[in-house]
Amino acid sequence: MTSIQSFFADWSDVIGKSILETFQMVGISLLFSILIGIPLGLLIVLTRPGQSFENKFLYQFFNLFINIIRSVPFIILLFFILPFTKLIVGTTIGVKGVIVPLVVYTAPYIARLMETALLEVDPGVVEAYTAMGIKRRHIIWNVLLREARPSIILGLTIATIGLIGATAMAGMVGAGGLGDLAYRYGHLRYEVDVMYATVFILIILVQSIQSLGNRFAAKLKKD
Amino acid sequence: MIQLENITKEFKTKNGIVKAVDGINLHVKKGEIHGVIGYSGAGKSTLIRCVNLLERPTTGKVFIDHVDITSLSLNDLRKTRQKIGMIFQHFNLLKTATVYNNISIPLKLLGYNDSEVKKRVAKYAEIVGLTEKLDSYPSQLSGGQKQRVAIARALAQEPEILLSDEATSALDPETTDAILELLLKINRELGITILLITHEMNVIQKICDAVSVLESGAVVEYSSAIELFSKPQHPTTRKFLNTISQRNLSPSLIKQLNVSGSVIRLTFLGESTGKPLLAEVSKVYDVQPNILSANIIELKNGIVGNIVVHLHGEAHIVEKALKYFTENGVSIEVLGGELHD
Repeated sequence: MTSIQSFFADWSDVIGKSILETFQMVGISLLFSILIGIPLGLLIVLTRPGQSFENKFLYQFFNLFINIIRSVPFIILLFFILPFTKLIVGTTIGVKGVIVPLVVYTAPYIARLMETALLEVDPGVVEAYTAMGIKRRHIIWNVLLREARPSIILGLTIATIGLIGATAMAGMVGAGGLGDLAYRYGHLRYEVDVMYATVFILIILVQSIQSLGNRFAAKLKKD
Repeated sequence: MIQLENITKEFKTKNGIVKAVDGINLHVKKGEIHGVIGYSGAGKSTLIRCVNLLERPTTGKVFIDHVDITSLSLNDLRKTRQKIGMIFQHFNLLKTATVYNNISIPLKLLGYNDSEVKKRVAKYAEIVGLTEKLDSYPSQLSGGQKQRVAIARALAQEPEILLSDEATSALDPETTDAILELLLKINRELGITILLITHEMNVIQKICDAVSVLESGAVVEYSSAIELFSKPQHPTTRKFLNTISQRNLSPSLIKQLNVSGSVIRLTFLGESTGKPLLAEVSKVYDVQPNILSANIIELKNGIVGNIVVHLHGEAHIVEKALKYFTENGVSIEVLGGELHD
């Protein structure tokens, strides 16, 4: 008991700070990734052959674009796009510096997950709404996105968990976070307790996010 | 109301160009229920989807209320589509929305105000008999109830035309009858013109005024339902009729029966259904009729009776007997081709 108390006394500040940093990184980059990823996913679904805004060129272009980015491991991407990061946020270090690579990494992933979710929507319903003389943008919003909501939520859950994993590497550019904590203290300084505690917190975090996502999706899904 | 002029629709496939619809002319009159029947692959679905341009015909024109809608702008086409309701084989409802929302969402998107939306949902949910189910989700409903929701959704736009794309094909016979009953009610009480496609002859029998028989993308027979059931012309039409009543005997059976007489099919229509002609004939002429099969088909606008009879007697007397039938408004067909002693 006393050892746990003394562990908390020694480490709660550091761990608390790391949790906060992880939340910051995940929260901000998730927000931007969603803002980019969902429209991008929608775009590749709508420009697909046979869809309402069929456009071979745009479809192929974005398809390739997403595949290229998704081919690069995050740790490489982090350094690969340093100049771009500098251009966008003016710095390449700290939480601010890691947001850009995290978004570049996650947005295409979300776009792919969106694509799958949207393609699951019964094309018959879209057809029924077209037959009723309803505008395409209304159909996109009220049929496609609405019906895909449960799958979108599950996709975003997966993306969020992937994002948490990616933030572990953010320590490389001095952004901190739980992964960085486990690496620096746990691995480099042989503070095994800190590593265990961090991993434990990450497990709890991932578990809660997944259960929350599942529950929310199940609530929206009615079949 | 709906006039299709020389519609063709080609699809490009890996194996070349396929003509799904090949030069179809079709006229659906205001207020009628027009059935298009054909086997799968005959082009029915493509045809009905050409009516509201879900499928753009390769050539030909589609007139709705005398306006050629193939030349309309997207905006005007949308306005026309609002006058044409459509129901589908697989219902095509929003899975994530309640019955109420399934009916109300399209109305809201079409710009009706809240009170109007509420009024219409209540009205049409009642017409289709789903007032109790407004808060249910489609997954909690049976197939027939889902189709009722789809019908309410289509009716709530207050269309002049309803297109039915195999609306009863996924339903069991009893539910099919209930849905057909509903379509008939809609047609009678709301005066909505209905164009439906089906592969089931009983759909045609129960509710259609006019029928087009489709084969390989072309109309091979067009007539009123009564004509079609009493005097089918095309072999495909006859095949469809056989699905609801046994009209044909096997050639071997006919041959066997021909040893001692002729096999005749008598088709009674309208007034002639009421007369005891068969009894009269056996009194007047020296023939002994033996009924092999008999049935009566109730159509929307009349009754058609069929009797297949074995007439025992000399050929020249049988011939006189048949003349008597014809004079009394019964159409006859000699099975096996000729009369026998």
